[in-house]
Amino acid sequence: METREKSSQQQIVHAPSRGLAVRSAAIVARGLRDLTRESNWLVQRVFAGHSPYLSISPAGHACAISSSVRQGAERVALYDIERSSSGVILTVPGEASARLAEGRAMFAWSPTGRHLMAAWSAWPPELHAFDLQSKMSLGGFGGFSSFPSALTWSDNGKYFAAAFSRSRDAALRLWVSGPESQNGMLCAGAPAQQCSLADLTSLIQRPVAAESGAVPYDEAAAAGFGRLAFNPAGDILATAVETEGEWADDAIVLSQVPTLVARRAFLVSGHVTDMAWSFDGSRLLFCSAGQAYRLTAGSAEPVALPFGAELCACHPYLPLCLCFSSWLKNSAKGRIFLADLNKLTVLDEHAASGVAALRWSLDGSKAYAVTADGLAYIYEPPLL
Amino acid sequence: MGHMELKSAEAAASEPKVRLKPEEQELARKHEEQAALQVELADRELRLANLLAELAAFERRYLHFVASRYAELDEWKARSAEQFAHQRPESERAQQAAAEARARATETQSAAGEDSSSEPRVFHASPEMKRLYREVARRVHPDLTSDREDRIKREQLMAEANLAYERGDEAKLEKILTVYESSPESVAGEGPGAELVRAIRRVSQVRSRLVEIEAELQDLLGSDLYQLKARVDEAQQCGRDLIKEMVSRVEEQIFLAKQRVPNPPSFAHQ
Repeated sequence: METREKSSQQQIVHAPSRGLAVRSAAIVARGLRDLTRESNWLVQRVFAGHSPYLSISPAGHACAISSSVRQGAERVALYDIERSSSGVILTVPGEASARLAEGRAMFAWSPTGRHLMAAWSAWPPELHAFDLQSKMSLGGFGGFSSFPSALTWSDNGKYFAAAFSRSRDAALRLWVSGPESQNGMLCAGAPAQQCSLADLTSLIQRPVAAESGAVPYDEAAAAGFGRLAFNPAGDILATAVETEGEWADDAIVLSQVPTLVARRAFLVSGHVTDMAWSFDGSRLLFCSAGQAYRLTAGSAEPVALPFGAELCACHPYLPLCLCFSSWLKNSAKGRIFLADLNKLTVLDEHAASGVAALRWSLDGSKAYAVTADGLAYIYEPPLL
Repeated sequence: MGHMELKSAEAAASEPKVRLKPEEQELARKHEEQAALQVELADRELRLANLLAELAAFERRYLHFVASRYAELDEWKARSAEQFAHQRPESERAQQAAAEARARATETQSAAGEDSSSEPRVFHASPEMKRLYREVARRVHPDLTSDREDRIKREQLMAEANLAYERGDEAKLEKILTVYESSPESVAGEGPGAELVRAIRRVSQVRSRLVEIEAELQDLLGSDLYQLKARVDEAQQCGRDLIKEMVSRVEEQIFLAKQRVPNPPSFAHQ
């Protein structure tokens, strides 16, 4: 009580009003937010414009391409999702200033959200590393001739992987990363390991064709590597092998880390749009052709889950998965929802459309979803 | 000084018409302008002091009843995360999550302040309090002087007056008024030329302060604290106690959070 009295005295004395809420600002904002929200979902705009390429950090920052931050020119910008504010524009030497209607971008946040790996069409063709704590561009590495189709970091921060699509240049590359606490470049030079499509496609065909009698996998149709997901222990990397054609079926290959030697492979139905491992590494969840599937260590093939999804993100330490589906049966409307991975039930949902990225916070107390049009859905249930 | 200036302006009005020099005419006009601004300044200062005091009282109430529950809730969440991390020493993410949850609990506890069983002090300003404060602001305000030493003295007294008003201390306000009225700084001196310069500066100072007050008021009215208070006040007019409802809601969450920690391990920070 004594502390409060002192605080009040300081506030009341002829002083700028800003002193009034310094100590209580966060907790007052929390109360105000709890008071106004009617569900566990908070919806607010984070940025204006349209950016299909975006990524969310575990610290609640969204990295997106924006044309609204500076004089209409497209930039890579960071937004604070909770505060709905933009603070940082990322630039690299040699950045092109022209508008890029067909531009592409790919981002990957480190497990703590301190570092960001990024590639953008307007930047020199290599992977660019940023330290958001010191607000520094750390430099480029891993030059490429075809744009990366996926970038990801292992949960323990030891490995960083990049997938590349497009025919002959298709490759899966793995770097060993320095500790996040380290200042300076975490990955540099040539990858520690690399593999091509030819290294993996033969493994895809055999188990699937032999056991299910399905049409054998056409190796020549393999277009490149797509989505990536390290298991929580960081010793397995799940990689989507993309297949040419709108209605073609992709495959998923599980490779040993750091050797990238393929151990198991599965054909899936349709194109893989997202993958995520459960917190204990016992299940790989993936979404293909709008359907959610589960792959367990003992199962011979994926099992369809009782809900559709195009994006998924598993809770860091609970058997929960945040999912987004752009199409809900009988309504043609999208939704974000929480799925219980043990009971396979939907716990909490909110109508949404155009979600481009999902992410749980580092402590698992909240989750973020951001649409390509800059609308954020913050999921903050009382008990997580 | 302001008191004496007012007297001279009033005296000038009641005395037989004499031909005033141009600087004396200008001085009289400045005194009139200053007198009007003094009244406006006193009113605005009163409004600001009132708002600050009301918000401070509301903040005390909010911290006492609601924030303390948030602190308890975050403590249980942290214990739950720590228990989970304790059971999974191999999971780096569980360890990180526990550390994050603990940091948040500490932050919330710090914001909520020390727990106290006594009721938070409320703010209520009687009409007499308002009259006294307005009088102090009209006479003692630091922007009504151009003398450096006098300004320091006035700033000190004004700060004391703000504190006394927030605490509802009428006697203290009376004393401040008496102390200043009897001090040598309240006596005006020198010729009309110098006095005119001082009067012009004082008018300018008062106008600047009025702008500052307006900016401060706008800042306060736009703050989360004011928004929250406005909601609570609005609900009160409809017979609802929003603070009580918030407390109930957080207590439900605390109840559920406690159930997630059935056998809490021994924590070093408990």
